[in-house]
Amino acid sequence: MQERVKLTDAQINKDLLRSMEENPLWYWLLVGALGLAVLVAFAAVAYMFNRGLGVTGLNRPVMWGFFITNFVFWIGISHAGVMLSAILRLVQAEWRRPATRAAEVLTVFSLMTAMTMPLIHAGRPWRVMYWVFPLDWARGVYPNVRSALVWDPSAVFTYLTSSILFVFIALIPDIAVARDRTTGWKHVLYSVLALGWRGSVRQWKLQLIAGILLSAVILPIFVSVHSIVSWDFAAAVSVEGWHSTVFAPYFVIGAVHSGVSAVVTVMIILRSMFKWQDYIRLEHLDALAKLLIVVATTWFFFFVLEFLFGLYSLEGPEIRLREMQVFEMPWAAFFVAFLVCSYFIPVPMWLFRSVRRSIPLMIFTTVLVNVGMWLERFIIIVPGLARKQGLTFTWGGYTPSAVEIIIVFATFCMVSMLVLLFAKVFPLIPIGDAKEGVVLEDEIKIGKVKVPAIMRED
Amino acid sequence: MTTNRISHKWGMVVDVDRCTGCQSCVVACQAENNIPINTEDVFRQRRAIQWIHVERYWEGEFPDVRARFIPVFCQHCENAPCEPVCPVYATYHNNQGMNVQVYNRCVGTRYCANNCTYNVRFFNYWEPVWPESLRNQLNPDVSMRSRGIMEKCSFNVQRLQKAQRVVEGQQGERLTDEKLKEGNYLPACVQACPTNALVFGDFLDPDSQVSHLKEEHLDGHGRGYKMLEHVGTEPNVIYLKKVDIHAKEVVKGHA
Amino acid sequence: MGITRRQFLKWSGVSAVGAVAFNGCLIPEQELQIESPVFLPEDLVNGIDNWYATLCRMDPEGCGIIIRVVEGRAKKVEGNPDYPINQGKHHARSEAGLQALYHPDRISEPLAREGDAHVPISWDEARRRIVDRMAGMSDRSKFLLVTQPLRGHQALLASEFVKAYGGRSMAYETLEQVTLRRSILEVFGQERLPVFDIQACKYLLSFGADFLSTWVSPVKYSRGYGELRQGSSRRGLHVQVDPRFSMTAANADEWVPVKPGGEGVLAMSMAYVIMRDGLGDQAAADALTGGGGHEALSAFSPDSQQVRDATGVEAGRIKELAHAFADPRNRPVMAIGGGSAGAHTSGLFNLRAIYSLNVLVGSVNTPGGIQFNPPPPLPELSTTDVMAMGVPASYREWKEMDRPQVLMIRGVNPVHGLPADANFRAAVEGAEFVVAFSSFMDETTAMADLVLPEHTYLEDWGDDVPDPGPGYQVIGFQQPVVSPFHAGTRGFADELMALGRALGLDLDSRLGLANVTDPTMEDLLKSGAEKLWEVDRGSVRASSFDGFWNGVLQRGGWWDTGTVDNSGIRNISPLDTAWPDISISDAPGGRAFNLVPFVSNSIGDGHLAHLPWLQATPDPITTIVWHTWVEMNTRTAEEMGLSKGDMVVVTAEGNRTVEAPVYPHPAVPPDTVSMPIGQGHTAFGQYAEGVGVNTLSLLAGLTDSSTGALAWAATRVRVVKSNLSIDIPRFEGNQFAEEADEQAIIKITKPE
Ligand SMILES: Nc1nc2c(c(=O)[nH]1)N[C@H]1C(S)=C(S)[C@@H](COP(=O)(O)OP(=O)(O)OC[C@H]3O[C@@H](n4cnc5c(=O)[nH]c(N)nc54)[C@H](O)[C@@H]3O)O[C@H]1N2
Ligand SMILES: Nc1nc2c(c(=O)[nH]1)N[C@H]1C(S)=C(S)[C@@H](COP(=O)(O)OP(=O)(O)OC[C@H]3O[C@@H](n4cnc5c(=O)[nH]c(N)nc54)[C@H](O)[C@@H]3O)O[C@H]1N2
Ligand code: SF4
Ligand code: SF4
Ligand code: SF4
Ligand code: SF4
Ligand code: SF4
Repeated sequence: MQERVKLTDAQINKDLLRSMEENPLWYWLLVGALGLAVLVAFAAVAYMFNRGLGVTGLNRPVMWGFFITNFVFWIGISHAGVMLSAILRLVQAEWRRPATRAAEVLTVFSLMTAMTMPLIHAGRPWRVMYWVFPLDWARGVYPNVRSALVWDPSAVFTYLTSSILFVFIALIPDIAVARDRTTGWKHVLYSVLALGWRGSVRQWKLQLIAGILLSAVILPIFVSVHSIVSWDFAAAVSVEGWHSTVFAPYFVIGAVHSGVSAVVTVMIILRSMFKWQDYIRLEHLDALAKLLIVVATTWFFFFVLEFLFGLYSLEGPEIRLREMQVFEMPWAAFFVAFLVCSYFIPVPMWLFRSVRRSIPLMIFTTVLVNVGMWLERFIIIVPGLARKQGLTFTWGGYTPSAVEIIIVFATFCMVSMLVLLFAKVFPLIPIGDAKEGVVLEDEIKIGKVKVPAIMRED
Repeated sequence: MTTNRISHKWGMVVDVDRCTGCQSCVVACQAENNIPINTEDVFRQRRAIQWIHVERYWEGEFPDVRARFIPVFCQHCENAPCEPVCPVYATYHNNQGMNVQVYNRCVGTRYCANNCTYNVRFFNYWEPVWPESLRNQLNPDVSMRSRGIMEKCSFNVQRLQKAQRVVEGQQGERLTDEKLKEGNYLPACVQACPTNALVFGDFLDPDSQVSHLKEEHLDGHGRGYKMLEHVGTEPNVIYLKKVDIHAKEVVKGHA
Repeated sequence: MGITRRQFLKWSGVSAVGAVAFNGCLIPEQELQIESPVFLPEDLVNGIDNWYATLCRMDPEGCGIIIRVVEGRAKKVEGNPDYPINQGKHHARSEAGLQALYHPDRISEPLAREGDAHVPISWDEARRRIVDRMAGMSDRSKFLLVTQPLRGHQALLASEFVKAYGGRSMAYETLEQVTLRRSILEVFGQERLPVFDIQACKYLLSFGADFLSTWVSPVKYSRGYGELRQGSSRRGLHVQVDPRFSMTAANADEWVPVKPGGEGVLAMSMAYVIMRDGLGDQAAADALTGGGGHEALSAFSPDSQQVRDATGVEAGRIKELAHAFADPRNRPVMAIGGGSAGAHTSGLFNLRAIYSLNVLVGSVNTPGGIQFNPPPPLPELSTTDVMAMGVPASYREWKEMDRPQVLMIRGVNPVHGLPADANFRAAVEGAEFVVAFSSFMDETTAMADLVLPEHTYLEDWGDDVPDPGPGYQVIGFQQPVVSPFHAGTRGFADELMALGRALGLDLDSRLGLANVTDPTMEDLLKSGAEKLWEVDRGSVRASSFDGFWNGVLQRGGWWDTGTVDNSGIRNISPLDTAWPDISISDAPGGRAFNLVPFVSNSIGDGHLAHLPWLQATPDPITTIVWHTWVEMNTRTAEEMGLSKGDMVVVTAEGNRTVEAPVYPHPAVPPDTVSMPIGQGHTAFGQYAEGVGVNTLSLLAGLTDSSTGALAWAATRVRVVKSNLSIDIPRFEGNQFAEEADEQAIIKITKPE
């Protein structure tokens, strides 16, 4: 069903290595600007470490705010990588090819970014190792496995490790290409990373098996990560609006929604930056948008469920909380914005083929989705804390401080910068995948099952 | 350290009908526990620390208006939601029915505060500042908390330790046959409360005032209730209902 | 190392299994309960502490306290369980005594004015300068000593000093109890304040007295209140007639909002109903009306329009109150009055009418009613002169006082507390020489030529004959619990005795200390204690004086529960049946409100505004801290377009203005605003300066016509919105605190 553009190997190499080989001014200006924003945020973090969390807008009872929202958001974004690579790989969706690398890289960088959030939000960040690792063994104190906050780092670390492997395995053939085209220290670096890749049949086979195995392994991890993140909230019995059993699937599917949207956004940007019109084609966007319609609608279904479950209990404080989210300013504005951005504008638009194949409209809708999804996390996390139980006497609110806004803003710059820098060092579209037709086909045995070594187009 | 030789379960009975909202308990706790001076700014930032505080609830309109006071502090929940969520066991249940906070271990995630049903956990957003001379009043038995950690009512565990050492000979000294009795160990807030709205004691001691009050009030016939009982925290604090001559039967709340 | 991978794996496996197995056997029980083995200092308390009994001097009531002292530092204030007044209880204010002791802004050495600044000098030099001034003073009647109300041996000493030297003394209290004392004298013939037996009372009717917070002896009354509520017998009822919804009104079963000044009319009207309906004591009714019966009070019939206008209370409500008050089933009943009820131009009329209600229903000298205090055990402490030292001067006296030439001020701050009309500032400026004994550089001290830093009460000797007492004779003893924190401070009494010697006044022999060389306050106290010892009765008795002295210091005082005053009222003084003069200063134009100022539950009348703990103690009703605010009815505020935190300009007669934020709440009478007093200091240390505004500066200075007391509740003000708005610092959250649902925080029940 896909249109083929006939390209020579040389042309493919040239196109896809363009990001690595050309050094346009705009690229360095952009990276510089993003880097500057990240530096400012580092200064903000340093200031915060120095003065204490007093410099945030957090208070009693709203003890979690922008940082945790942002943590959940980036964890969500990170779900795009596996979603696209693993699922699509396993279901042999051919159109995935140009999207996978960008998605996986986005996963890795957004995970890394996400992890910084709980780290800097801790009151004593220099002690967080005690939280993550059983460093107090000597005194007989272990991290508390009952706490979702202990599961969080375990899940996230595992996910990070496997996604890095995932990216790396797929990257090996491309690194080999880079190795063969570079000299000097770059050549040495690529030689080491290429792990002696020569493109032999056996090597291709092994690489493929590894990729498929990882796909299978990473799927449960991917489901677990956002489930566990959701349990940070769902396990909190005292906070209305948090304590909800539907949170795990709701969060996972929400993560896919925002993650895939983010991948589309990133693909479009890269496409125009590096002139990859021939690789990231409109039909790819079309396919992703179709996927998004399904994902978004499933997510919306869970959202409705979650809301209904809340109301169904008919508990005073829960209902007061929902009223606040829906009717009280500024929450009402956030609520409307969230729904409109993440569902009611993009999904109906995606129903039209012309939208799905329009670069500006796709970038508009996918950015909108993530604005909405950021707000979604915010209005889940903060109002529940602001209106805890029937203790109206302590009910409060939250306004983020400049420090928090700067840091959150900079996380977007940081992820973008890291993706751009990655593109400087490694090809962002799998060259190997693009050339796959050339390589022989084979069947390989995984356990008792035979799978085709190359997922062919029909 | 405590031993299991003598079992205790400390708790409080608060008679809301006696509490006048006078704030004596608040300042007494402040003084006993080295709680940092709450400046005007921390109040504006809603970060004031008061391990015990008095909540005031309004009802009605002028002239038929009422304001009611209730002292709120850590309820030392048997089934404390703050405990399982702490990743580093900085808050845990000891074997005397108390929810204990180990400042040394706390990394400051604030998860426990989120999950505390009663909003009685206080986070040190800023490093506490004491003018040099005012440091002379600090209680040497109580840790100074630095910024970045959580704190809350401890049931004055330092007073318990002292009393247990003196009376029961615990803490490494030769154990005696004596057992803490009513009044051997009283928290500062209880001692201060001019109306005797706060009664503290050992629920495992059948002769204690709190046991008597519990028996009298908690079995559906008296005024006893536990705050936000439906959450299932099983607090070790029992409140006795406010008496209102205008109340019908029981206007609010389950019996 | 030569370890193969296989070996490594093997060993790791073995050690992991081993670790688990060993731990399984060894984990101590505490750890299974997840008890942290990491000790806190709380777990290892080993310090030795000492506890000393002394007196709290944060307020005039003088409760008995014990102080925990560790390594020479005072650490904690607690109520003295033995002391008859407070019986182990104390108030927020008394805890903060520690902060006065260790305050960073305490004055630590004598200071002399040079130009606009104060420079340190030595005590010898300071005393030389005083003697220079005072010894050569031509007209000694121009000497004025201003102190807080003094009692016990301090009062004796001060009065002897003034008598020996010449001149006058005046006691200063911000909101004096002059009218209260006069009314007690006139109704009951008692010079000392009586006992209000709240504990045993079953129907307590309080007019304007914020007795749970600041009025007269709040710790004692709060203790009694706990018993009234849930003591061993039937739960007592409490009705508060008050123009403001004070903390006390909030606790009452019923709050009757009354117009400021109308309290007496309300009480008279109740008396009328009680007499008309034949309730109450017939003989007392006759005596009160001079035989005229209720007819004599007909002007106060609840049905008259005049009564309704003056009180703002419906006739039906007055009748209900009267019937409930006179109902034998409600006995013992008691009516008390004070605070704003006595702070009007009709103050004395009001309080007399209120206290006479007790006479009418026979609640005098009964349990649960009003009881009297016997005179102090030592006759020299009950002479009129000494007693007078304990009675603050009325506002009129301040206003009309002769300008002193030499002014000695001790521990009070009239420059901040007296309304501008009194012109105390001018008196200080006009005096040739002003000496201030003070621990802090407050507004008054800042104007002094010589500043003498005093010990705080925790470093000094003293005693107290509580007024009101507990119904029997008590002398409380105050001892230094720590050595002076600053080397350069001295006790006021010690210094006064030294000055007396330097001036050649022969104070020592007047005080009976001629046989002691250079006596101090401690010697004076001991000589008093010796007389007590000789009496040989009461709580402390001993075979030797040393034993007795140790005994009183250990217990914090001496008392004799057997010394009850059963004298009753010698003769009932008739009610003043003429319609009272309820005048009020008017506000210029605009929407006018009755202003009801009130004393803060934490910083009091402002003399505690320098203590950070108290500044940070939330006001019970509004939870506001570190500020002055204007309480206004929610509806009224809405009508005026005001919301919480909007700044308003409050203007009183004579264009006195202050600016403060509005705090609307539902329990303010719509035509009233109230403001706490005590803030707005321009001096007084880092925690007081620049906080809030001085509400007292609004007062027009009307007085009660008979006592001359300041009518501080008789002011009307105009309130105008300004264009500023602030976030009022307070403890409560940002929502209106109402019970949210059926799972109420405060559950209520009807009485059994
Ligand atoms: N409140 C208070 N604090 C004080 C003091 C005070 O008087 N009062 N004094 C101060 C002074 S002067 C000092 S020196 C310090 C002392 O303070 P620390 O040095 O903390 O003194 P200890 O608690 O005596 O001993 C520390 C630990 O060493 C362990 N130990 C004993 N023998 C050995 C050994 O052979 N090897 C090893 N590895 N461990 C051993 C003990 O079991 C104990 O757990 O405290 C200071 N702190
Ligand atoms: N059983 C036992 N014995 C020990 C030790 C132990 O752990 N256990 N530890 C050993 C060690 S490490 C040490 S350092 C020694 C300490 O032994 P010491 O030096 O005897 O220590 P302390 O008893 O703490 O203090 C001595 C005295 O100094 C007084 N003092 C306090 N401040 C001042 C001041 O400013 N001026 C003056 N003049 N006096 C003051 C105190 O009131 C006290 O009476 O003990 C040693 N002996
Ligand atoms: S703030 Fe401290 S006590 Fe609370 S959960 Fe985090 S680490 Fe534990
Ligand atoms: S009241 Fe809060 S802090 Fe105290 S034990 Fe319960 S949940 Fe924990
Ligand atoms: S028990 Fe102790 S720590 Fe808890 S509120 Fe009372 S005084 Fe404070
Ligand atoms: S001290 Fe007692 S009466 Fe006062 S606020 Fe606290 S609990 Fe209530
Ligand atoms: S009422 Fe409080 S501050 Fe006043 S004397 Fe008594 S204890 Fe001290």
